[in-house]
Amino acid sequence: MLTLPHRPLRIAAATALTLLIAALIAAVLWAILDAATDAASGSRVDIPHLLRMTSLQAGLTMVLSLLVGTALAWALNRLRFFGRDLVVGLFAAAIVTPGMVVAFGLLSIWGRNGWINQATESLFGIRFDSPAYGLSGILLAHVVLDGAFAARILLARLDSIPQNRLKVGQSLGLSAWQRFVLIDWPALRGSLPGLGAIIFLLAFTSFPIVLLLGGGPANQTLEVAIYTAVRLDFDLVGAVRLALTQIAVCSIVILLASAFTPVPSALSRSAQPSWRDAAPVRVLQWLVLVIGTIGFALPLLSVLYDGLASGLLRVLGQASFWRATLTSLVIGASSALVTLALALILSLGRSAAHLPAARTLLGVPAYAYLAVPAVVLSLGFFLLVRALGVPGGMAAPVVVIFANSLLSLPFAIATLGPPLDAILRSRGKLIRSLGLSGWRQFAAIEYPLIGRDIGLMLALAFCFSLGDLGVIALFGTQDFQTLPLLMYRALGSYKSNDAAAIAALLLIFTIAAFVGLPRLLERIAHAPRR
Amino acid sequence: MVKFSSVALAVLVAGFSGGAFAQDKPTLTIYTYDGFASEWGPGVPLKDGFEATCNCTVNFVAADSSIGTLRKVQLEGDTTEADMILGLDTAIAGEARATGLFADHGLDLGHLALPTTWTDAQFVPFDYSHFAFMHDTNTMPVPPTSFEELIALDDDIKIAIQDPRSATPGLGLLVWIKAAYGDRAPEIWAGLKPHILTITREWSESYALFLEGEADMVLSYTTSPAYHIFDQDDHTIKAAMFTEGHFPQIEVAGILKSSDQQELARDFLAFLTSVEGQKAIPTTNWMFPVVDLGVDLDASFQGLPQPEKTLVLDEAEITANSAAWIDEMLAAVQ
Repeated sequence: MLTLPHRPLRIAAATALTLLIAALIAAVLWAILDAATDAASGSRVDIPHLLRMTSLQAGLTMVLSLLVGTALAWALNRLRFFGRDLVVGLFAAAIVTPGMVVAFGLLSIWGRNGWINQATESLFGIRFDSPAYGLSGILLAHVVLDGAFAARILLARLDSIPQNRLKVGQSLGLSAWQRFVLIDWPALRGSLPGLGAIIFLLAFTSFPIVLLLGGGPANQTLEVAIYTAVRLDFDLVGAVRLALTQIAVCSIVILLASAFTPVPSALSRSAQPSWRDAAPVRVLQWLVLVIGTIGFALPLLSVLYDGLASGLLRVLGQASFWRATLTSLVIGASSALVTLALALILSLGRSAAHLPAARTLLGVPAYAYLAVPAVVLSLGFFLLVRALGVPGGMAAPVVVIFANSLLSLPFAIATLGPPLDAILRSRGKLIRSLGLSGWRQFAAIEYPLIGRDIGLMLALAFCFSLGDLGVIALFGTQDFQTLPLLMYRALGSYKSNDAAAIAALLLIFTIAAFVGLPRLLERIAHAPRR
Repeated sequence: MVKFSSVALAVLVAGFSGGAFAQDKPTLTIYTYDGFASEWGPGVPLKDGFEATCNCTVNFVAADSSIGTLRKVQLEGDTTEADMILGLDTAIAGEARATGLFADHGLDLGHLALPTTWTDAQFVPFDYSHFAFMHDTNTMPVPPTSFEELIALDDDIKIAIQDPRSATPGLGLLVWIKAAYGDRAPEIWAGLKPHILTITREWSESYALFLEGEADMVLSYTTSPAYHIFDQDDHTIKAAMFTEGHFPQIEVAGILKSSDQQELARDFLAFLTSVEGQKAIPTTNWMFPVVDLGVDLDASFQGLPQPEKTLVLDEAEITANSAAWIDEMLAAVQ
């Protein structure tokens, strides 16, 4: 710990940003309370029941997603095959695709009238009860979304295990299990708490999937109750009360995750693996991969299949589609850059902090957006903008970019935080002895080493922004329309073919960004040194 | 010379102010739900039609739902830019009226052709349809003809419905069952429970589940089949007629008291309920017009079966009890 270079500016910047985000959330809640006229009828929600159900669902989602993610990352790290990058891109694309698109993709595979049920019926004449509804349906959808994301993040950790460590392991003749425990696990461990917290919070606040697949009020979340309070009852005080309950519960999870000191993991990407596991283990790896691909990639492929088969040409011929595409790309690119700035300030500050308490504190703002209910945030932003006297139409793009950046922040920090920590812990002494300035430290050491991670982070933030509906609803006008909004509007106007085509195109953009951006950024980051 | 220059000045000033006046056409801002304002919705032809005569600009501002438009105005208070809200329905009209935000429309609506006579002083209806369950004749040739028949079907028969707290058809179903069964409503909901595949937030999600073949029936409108007939000449999607009768959704518009464009807003409502305005509605919003369009009503609507009985429920009763009815329903299907 004492070998950390002294970087007061980094810590100060991160602290300032943390306070700013806290102030923003306070302002959002205050704006809502201020707008509340008089206390409406008391809340009609059974909060303890909702909390119990939601915690159970989110806990199961987290455990399953981490297990599935670890297994997939393990298999993908060992295997090399044609199209591997595409599979990795497809896996990662799941989490940033609008939840509704993934849910419908899932249904076309696992649903009552899905491919599997149709196949078993025509082959064996049996129809089974679809697992895609109720608690099992929610878990299935969440694990597809979050497990694949976990796999992508964990794979990056495994791929960065240094070659020399693998060589030593290989020369010691470690078994596949020993290899996992001694070499892989230390690299994975540091990422698990942060990832687990993100997945828990995502599942805890999940809204459209829970309503679509949950089968009814029995499986609903607190977020639904808040939506009800805001929309139906117009009980703004009640909404703030519920939001504070949600923030309190989420804070426990967030503090637990942030307090956990990440284990140093090494950097640099390993080359082609020269160390193959024994044949039976490879069979298991292929099995995991094939099952994973069926489970994860098929729903997305079905989205592509449905979309490209139906209304593609009609959609491509619409001026509104191209306008929405342009809007979405500009918003996506802007919020990716804003996210990068926010994430770097926070991660650099956190990695430079000595005190555990400071590290915990600086870890908290990453999760702000996940803890604060989207409907409350959107309402608060709307009221704040009005209080400032800015016309809604002008404020909309700025608010959407900023809100999208906050949304991507936890994922960005989960991507950039562990490698930055690792750099300081492995090279801190070197940096101190060279007497590098903070800027030189970043330019000469950190940036080249995390180039690929920055690319992955930009891709994540870009795609999140591309797929998010979030705060746009209250600000939306005809002139300001993103692709997901256009998709929902098409669905709401009976144009399900157009909606399917837009969903497929969104997915293609997402996968392209995921495959392309990390490579591009790695090339840029390494360019000066070659 | 003096005279000439002053005339020239007067002409110039007149020209300028005339030009400025042409630039400063009054704007009528209408809050509506996004389906209405979308490029496929009735907003586009209505805007074009009204702007051709009004020397004004019509500005539709889309909220994510019809209740969202009301909430947006309530949040904005006196500073709202909205002159009018368009797209509330009869089940939430009572609550909207209670806010005291709406002005009297002052229009003579004697020419309307609705299932019930219209006497509302604040709200003007612009389209309607009855709530109904859709079925696909390929997979369900013979639909149930009442809630009780639906309940008696095998549990494998699944329906997709919408949450009454977030979607107007969801609230409509609640009121429909209440209007048909009164105190027996919880019993009906409990009977429906095994058939409910899922309760979605929006109508569009339920409807997509139905089109994908996931649900055998979906809560929608008696006019929904018209879209499939119009777009693909597909006659397989039909509305099941229930012997209890059906509850209608009547969509309404109302002028806000805070608007400084009262007259323009009134003119728009008069246009909206005219034959010309009404022609824009059926094949864009897939609802019946509120005036008799005769042969001008698209063929896809002409043969649609209509309920023999239209159920009614007092607005005050809906407003006073809807919260309790929602709790009752949630408890029954939980």
